[in-house]
Amino acid sequence: MAPAFSDADLARRRNAARRLGWLLGAAVLALYLIGLFIKR
Amino acid sequence: MSTATTHAAEHPAEHYPGGLMRWLTTTNHKDIGTMYLTFSLIMFFVGGLMILAVRAELFQPGLQLMRPEFFNQLIGVHALVMIFAALMPAATGFANWMLPLMIGAPDMALPRLNNWGFWLLPPAAILLTLPFTLALFGIGDGALATGWTFYAPLSVQGGMGVDFAILAVHILGISSIMGSINIIVTIFNMRAPGMTMMKLPLFAWGWLITAFLLIATLPVLAGAVTMLLTDRHFGTHFFDAAGGGDPILFQHLFWFFGHPEVYILLLPVWGLMPHVLSTFSRKPAYGYTAQVYSFIAIGLLSVVVWAHHFFTAGMPIPALVYFMFSTMAISIPLAVLFFCWIATMWKGAMTFETPMLFAVGFIVLFGIAGLTGLILADVAADAQYHHSYFVVAHFHYALFAGGIMGVMTGVYYWLPKWTGHMYSEKLGKLHFWLTVFSFNLTFIPQFFLGLAGMPRRIPDYALQFAEFNAISTLGAFVLGLSQLLFAWNIWCCVRGGPKVESRVWEGAEGLEWELSSPPPHHSWETQPTVK
Amino acid sequence: MARTPHHSLAGRQSRVYACACRTGRLALAPALLLPTVASAAYSFNFPEPVTPIARETLHIHNEFMLIITILFVVVFAIMIYSMIKHRKSIGHQPAKFVGPTGALQWFWALIPFAILLFIDFVLMGIPAVQAIINMEDTKTKADMVLKVTGMQWKWQYEYPVSGLKFISTLSTPRDQIANAEAKGEHYLLEVDKPVVLPVGKKVRILLTSTDVIHTWWVPQFGVKRDAIPGFLRETWVLIEKPGIYRGQCAELCGKDHGFMPVVVHAVPEPEYLAWLEAQKAEAKTAAGGADRTWSKDELVAEGKAVYEKVCAACHQPDGKGLPPAFPALAGSKVVNAPLLDMNGKVIKDSHVDRVLHGKAGTAMQAFSASLSDVELAAVITYERNSFGNQMGDMIQPAQIKSLR
Repeated sequence: MAPAFSDADLARRRNAARRLGWLLGAAVLALYLIGLFIKR
Repeated sequence: MSTATTHAAEHPAEHYPGGLMRWLTTTNHKDIGTMYLTFSLIMFFVGGLMILAVRAELFQPGLQLMRPEFFNQLIGVHALVMIFAALMPAATGFANWMLPLMIGAPDMALPRLNNWGFWLLPPAAILLTLPFTLALFGIGDGALATGWTFYAPLSVQGGMGVDFAILAVHILGISSIMGSINIIVTIFNMRAPGMTMMKLPLFAWGWLITAFLLIATLPVLAGAVTMLLTDRHFGTHFFDAAGGGDPILFQHLFWFFGHPEVYILLLPVWGLMPHVLSTFSRKPAYGYTAQVYSFIAIGLLSVVVWAHHFFTAGMPIPALVYFMFSTMAISIPLAVLFFCWIATMWKGAMTFETPMLFAVGFIVLFGIAGLTGLILADVAADAQYHHSYFVVAHFHYALFAGGIMGVMTGVYYWLPKWTGHMYSEKLGKLHFWLTVFSFNLTFIPQFFLGLAGMPRRIPDYALQFAEFNAISTLGAFVLGLSQLLFAWNIWCCVRGGPKVESRVWEGAEGLEWELSSPPPHHSWETQPTVK
Repeated sequence: MARTPHHSLAGRQSRVYACACRTGRLALAPALLLPTVASAAYSFNFPEPVTPIARETLHIHNEFMLIITILFVVVFAIMIYSMIKHRKSIGHQPAKFVGPTGALQWFWALIPFAILLFIDFVLMGIPAVQAIINMEDTKTKADMVLKVTGMQWKWQYEYPVSGLKFISTLSTPRDQIANAEAKGEHYLLEVDKPVVLPVGKKVRILLTSTDVIHTWWVPQFGVKRDAIPGFLRETWVLIEKPGIYRGQCAELCGKDHGFMPVVVHAVPEPEYLAWLEAQKAEAKTAAGGADRTWSKDELVAEGKAVYEKVCAACHQPDGKGLPPAFPALAGSKVVNAPLLDMNGKVIKDSHVDRVLHGKAGTAMQAFSASLSDVELAAVITYERNSFGNQMGDMIQPAQIKSLR
């Protein structure tokens, strides 16, 4: 039986996941910081 | 970081540490899921005890048990505990346990982030409730006493409980955001070959939309409470009219988060429903595509309707009309979901095990929440309902009958898969009937109290409200006590019970049912086949 | 003094419309399962409406309740039918369909949503928009203005044209709240000085607050609007029927949120005008009091009354407060310090300063706007000579007047 993902495939997927994760985290931080400069 | 993470996941540490260290350091999605669910159950009882104290005070007119200040602390902390520490972690626990099994992934994409996300929760819960304890020793004046909404300027005026709550909300928010990021990247990157987005289980779709909503709205809440903190301690005037600020700005910011939060709590449950209904109707889920698009539509609409939470604060007529109609528009995708749920049951071969009972109970009672929500959107009628017990009853139909009973559906549905044992059907059914009966006994009277004019968040009330309050308190205590059956049933099931097959339920479909019950410590050593 | 109860209205006390009982015609279906005990206190629907807005709101509410009850019954009748007919135990074989196929099925699947769209945006939407326009029209043909100011935890009413201004606070005795004596008929819904309005006149109501957000609500008027510090909000009422109408603050505003009722006496116009004249005369007498010299005993007696009405909710009748949120006055450093500086001016953070201008960021509000010179002088003098404080000094109303 073949393993779920090959080692190389799994590493590639995890790297992609980590990059997207950082991107989303940066978006959150940006949203938070921009909000603090709200002026009416 | 990457090598270590990849390494740990690829070559699982079979000799993980024992005892407490196992749980502190685990990166296994099942362990973390279990911790989330356990934490959630404990906090469910903590929040429940708080509200039972409140209901006891409201049993009769007059002040019997507590001062109004303490009453105000209990109602606000009850809400924060139930929302942030009971419901949200329960949903995250489900996601941790089930998503990798459902999409054929070996684990969550970012296992160490997962661990951190969980371990932020206990300190936050302690921060939230610590002021109660400190007050016993004469330090400070107790917990947050503003209700969970933190409305300025009341929260600017409040004691140090507000600061503790602000800090706790920040930490809980960070934890949820980390959980959401992990879920999004897991769904995007870790699906088994052949599982396209439109073959994704609906539970995963529901959670995906929830995760995006959390990422879009939690920073706004964090920003709002940070501004509150600086208003309180550093002389800013974001919410102080005397300094050029605006108290209503806080309400806008809070509800920009607060309304999507309702769907954040409900979308995972809506995602779960078609699985349960299809299993026990022995018939595939109806309208998969329609449900996916409804989730997306509700997600998008939820961030543009926030101001219906404060119509009485006064706003221009075009704004009132816009927020009314956009809110009513949510009823369309929501009706699509109801249609699909009932159509899934239609012409099936139904049996009514405990999860199915909870699912049907959920649909009926959540229907009441949806329908009362529709009329609450009407600005004129809202002028009477708003800030009254009518609203309290409405959102408990949404969040208890919708949220918590949905979570209970999931627990009964998946508990045999998690433990490998069957729970007691007899106790489960008893728990269901007691919960439904006492829930309605608690909250139907509150609809009438609201219509008759009883404002919410008052520790004492006029005599014409006495009878309904007494009935409601009675219901609340039965409701609280019947949850002990739930905990007992889970406890017994974890400890032992009849062994179950990998496909626990006759009609269950999906990858998660192909793994043994309980699943091996490391899921999917072999490639799953996606049909 | 402004606190004197208004006796000409006492005869109306028996005509109470506050909790008129209406068994809801269109109450939620499950309500019918509850025992229908015949008690005048029960109510399954809104109380009797007495303004055009409240009537419209009740009508809309009843109509919506009917609509959602029908939706509820129809949808769940279909579900329950299915649950009975499509069970495994009676040998029903599961179908395999996963969505509508063919034009006819699509048609039937889309019908419910067409109906829902119609209900949302036509059946409910059109009357709702009309009601909004009506509710927000505060200015057209308004006969008079009433200004309502929310304060922790009382309401101030002001008639701008006649310059009349007074505070209305809960009059339910503390012993009733503490269960030490039997509760009266209007427990928690009674005040020392109700606001009086003429019937048949359109009253434009302006709302604001001095501290936190409050919400002015009288259910029988169908009106609920927030009072926001630093902002002015408005609404209107046209009361059609004389009577006493009771409501409460509806927005959590701190400790005594549950103890700041609204009581409105609606009377025919002549009676209203007579009341207004009497109040103005009284206010004039009271203002005259500010110019004469008061004895210490007079001030202490008057101050005790003011203290119990205005200050005791936080600082407690015995002056011990509820620390740390509400500090004690007994032995307080602020109270037991010099009254004024050598030039007769206010010292910063002194007793007089604190009472007149409040303390920012706490529940201690500025009382210079809401209390009269006499009341301020009296309450300060009282606090300095009570609860074990023995300052022995006093401040005259005339001195307060010159400090403003």
